[in-house]
Formats: sequence, structure tokens, C-alpha cells
Amino acid sequence: MTDRGTRGEVRLVDARLHLLSRQVLDSDGEPVRTVDDLELAGPDGGEARAGQEAHVSAILVGPALALRLFGGRAPTSRLPHIAWEDVGHLGTAIELTVPSDGLDADWVEHWLRDRLVGRIPGGRRDPEAGS
Amino acid sequence: MRKMLAVALGVLTAIGGFVDIGDLVTNAVVGSRFGMSLVWVVVVGVVGICLFASMAGRVAAVSGRATFEIIRERLGPRAAGANLVASFAINLLTLTAEIGGITLALHLASSVEPRLWIPVAALAVWLVLWRVKFQVLENVAGLMGLLLVGFAVALFLLGPDWGELLRQAVPPSAPGNEHPAAYWYYAVALFGAAMTPYEVFFFSSGAVEERWTSKDLATNRLNVMVGFPLGGLLSVAIAACAAVVLLPAGIEVSSLSQIVLPVAQAGGVLLLAVVIVGIVAATFGAALETALSSGYTMAQYLGWSWGKFRRPARAARFHVTMIVAVLLAVGILMTSVDPIAVTEMSVVFSAVALPLTYVPILVVANDPEYMGEHVNGRVMNALGGVYLLIVVVAAVAAVPLMIATGAGS
Repeated sequence: MTDRGTRGEVRLVDARLHLLSRQVLDSDGEPVRTVDDLELAGPDGGEARAGQEAHVSAILVGPALALRLFGGRAPTSRLPHIAWEDVGHLGTAIELTVPSDGLDADWVEHWLRDRLVGRIPGGRRDPEAGS
Repeated sequence: MRKMLAVALGVLTAIGGFVDIGDLVTNAVVGSRFGMSLVWVVVVGVVGICLFASMAGRVAAVSGRATFEIIRERLGPRAAGANLVASFAINLLTLTAEIGGITLALHLASSVEPRLWIPVAALAVWLVLWRVKFQVLENVAGLMGLLLVGFAVALFLLGPDWGELLRQAVPPSAPGNEHPAAYWYYAVALFGAAMTPYEVFFFSSGAVEERWTSKDLATNRLNVMVGFPLGGLLSVAIAACAAVVLLPAGIEVSSLSQIVLPVAQAGGVLLLAVVIVGIVAATFGAALETALSSGYTMAQYLGWSWGKFRRPARAARFHVTMIVAVLLAVGILMTSVDPIAVTEMSVVFSAVALPLTYVPILVVANDPEYMGEHVNGRVMNALGGVYLLIVVVAAVAAVPLMIATGAGS
């Protein structure tokens, strides 16, 4: 797989080395998840088939990790996705071009924030702004 | 001047933060049974923790990445996941022991039933985790922990036969009435207590919390290289107090009141009060560090946002993990399990878990991709190699020794 770097030359990316288990950051530099698995798609956007051209269509997180560790299958439509179009830059971390607030894949964080942590007094207070 | 103050503060914090419930209990038990004959283990352990804490701090400062992110990147999700489960379990055991230690000390000061103190202590730990700034939390607990210097004061007031203490320490040999297996079992426990793995998680994540860069490396090295050995001296003083008072009287330590008995005998109520405040501060500080470490390890493995520098709502999963860890510790303590027994377990299993954290740190500290020009030098690697051997031997020997000696009895 190739990625056009800032200077226009083509850089070789090793999926296992540069993508899997790398940190994903949103457009504000906030951590979202680690890349747990990748979804491949065929040229027409359908299922990737052997012998045909394929590309990375999404980063999978969450339950995808359990599937990788313990085996088993789940319909990929059920797994939390981060679309590959949202990826902006590949460095030591993978930087997205969208804020995490709009990502469905980050729903656990949003749910805990809105239902639990944000409701406890002081939960939205900035700790660096004096104590 | 400001910089000097910051350095002094860092060193003092490292001294006060070195001793936790594991060091306190293990050193007193060892002193009361083996005299000073295991002091060499404290020395080996202190050099080891200096080596690895400074390495972990350097990795975090230079690469900006904390330990567990790197462990997953390097080992892959499977091996790192197994490592996470083991580290998290041992960390939880240590957290339980620390909260238990707070309640024992408060019980000693107030004679209110320890089980009534458990929810109070846990709530206080959580409130500090929730509200207090990272730097404040780290420094206050460390400075108050300095009150443990009362053990050293007590030792001088006891006026022991220094020559006799030295004879027990060098050359080291087990007292005749003790089985060699028990001697080595406690050697491993003492090593585990000095080198508890959570210190590495805490140190590397703390460096990220305080936004260290490679400019802070000198401060990091100084804090560790001066602070930890002085903290180690406090450990030795605890063991020496036990060796002077408890060993001749044939008292085997099984409670906190026995650990502080030499202090009460030497310095009376006043010194006892000082030391109890020191114990509360030291165990409280360590409870904060272990609770934070449980959040750090989980969040770094799974890539969640973490850190005290964020608003709790911006690191919701991190804060929920810490709340769950504290609640689990409370649950374990509420079963009336003896916190001293939990502590003894936690230090031995810390020894078992040591290679899990130290091997990846050693590997990454040698990787120019992360470290650039700050990779380990030759001396560091030679020492690192020697310690790798010691750590692996201690880890392998721990469980067989525990079974053979019936946990040291």
C-alpha cells in the first residue's frame, strides 16, 4: 500500500508495522483508540476478493480486537469503523481530519462522558486551572 | 534559584515516595527474623529501580510515549494483552494493600475499627484522583512521606550496637535457626518490594503528564539517582529498628502495631504520632500512584485518552477505570482479609511480574526510532543486562520458593 507524503513522493507503508496497534488521534490531537484491525475492500467498494486489487477502507476498533485475539467472525458492518477517508496523516500515530465527537466508533467514551463522568460534580472542570 | 527549588522538591518527593506499604511491611518482617542479613537485597533493589525508573522516564521524555503504548506496539496485541492482564491484576493487589495500609495506620491512630476506615480511605483516594492537580498530588504525598524519617531517628535514640548491626549485614548469612529457603524467599520479596512494577508505569506516564522533553532529562536523572537511594536508607532504618528491638524479643511481625513498636519504645508518643502520619502519607501516596497506574496501563493499551492534565470528562474511560479499580480494592478489603497478608502476596507477585515491564523498557531504550541520539549507552546496557538476569532469576524463583516455604512461615 502506498501513501503520498507531503513532498509528493510515494512512501511504502507496512500494515503490520505502521498501522496495526498504532495510536489514532483526532483532529485536535486527542487519543481516540488504537488500531485494532483493518477492513479491506475491493475496487468497487464491495468485498475484497483474492486475486483482485484491494485497499484499506476502514480502521476497526473495539470488538475487532477480541475477534483478533480469540478468533471468531462477526459481520464487519457491526464493528465500530473509522472510515479511511478521515485519515489525514500517517506518522508515529495516525492522525484523523475529524474531531472525535463526530465519530461513532468512539461511542463508549461519549456515553460514559455524558451519562456518568460529566455528571459527577467537577467532571468538566479543567484540572490545570488552579486547584 | 527557582530551578534549584524545583530540583530539591523533586529529590525530596522521590525520597518520601520511595517507601510504600510493601517496603514497610517486608523490611520490618525481614528485620525481625533475619536481622540485617538481607540489607544487600535493598541495595540491589535500589540500584535496579534507579536504573529502570530513569530509563522509563527517559523513554517517555524523548519519545513522548508512555510504557504501555510502546509495549503494545512492540509486542503486538496478544502478548501485550497477556502482559496487561498480569500487570493490572498485580497492580490491583498492590492498590488493595496500600488502601489497607492507610486503614491500619488510621486504626492505630484512632482505635476505630479498620473496616470502618476502608470506605473513608477509598473515598479520600478517589477525591484526590478526581480533583487535585497532578503536580500537587505527587509532591504533597511525597513530602509528607518524609516523616518516615522518624524510623531513622528512632534507631539513633535506641542507641544500638552499630558494630553488631554491621556484622549481621556483611558478610550476609542467614541466622542459624532459619531455613535457607525462607531466607531466599524473603530476599525475593524484598527485591519485589523495592522494584515494584507500578513505579515504572507511574514514572513514565508522570513524565507525559508533566510534559517532559529531552531538556528535563538531567532533572529526571538527579531525582532518581539521589532520591531513591535516600529512600532506600529509610527502608534500611525500618529493618534496623526491627532488628534491634523485635529480633532479640522474638517478636514476629504480623501487624502494623508491631512495626511501629520500636519507634514508640525509642521516641514515645510524639515520635509515634509523627511516624503514623508518615505511614498514612506514604501509603496514601502509593495508593494514588497504583490507582493512576491501573488507569494508565488500561488506557495506553487500548489507546484511550488518559491523564490528570485533561478534564475528567475528556478522559472518561480512564477515570471510570480508576473508579472501578478503587471499588474492587474496597471489595477485597471488605472481606476482612488481613492487609499485611495482602501486602506480602503483592510484593512476591511483583517480583514475578518484573520481567514483563522491564524487558520492553530495555528494548525500547535501545531503539533509535524512538530514542534518536538518547539510546542507552554501553554502561547503561551492561547494567541493564545484569539486572535483566537478576530480575528473571527472581521471577522464576518466586513461586517455587513460596510453595517450598509455605509463604515464608
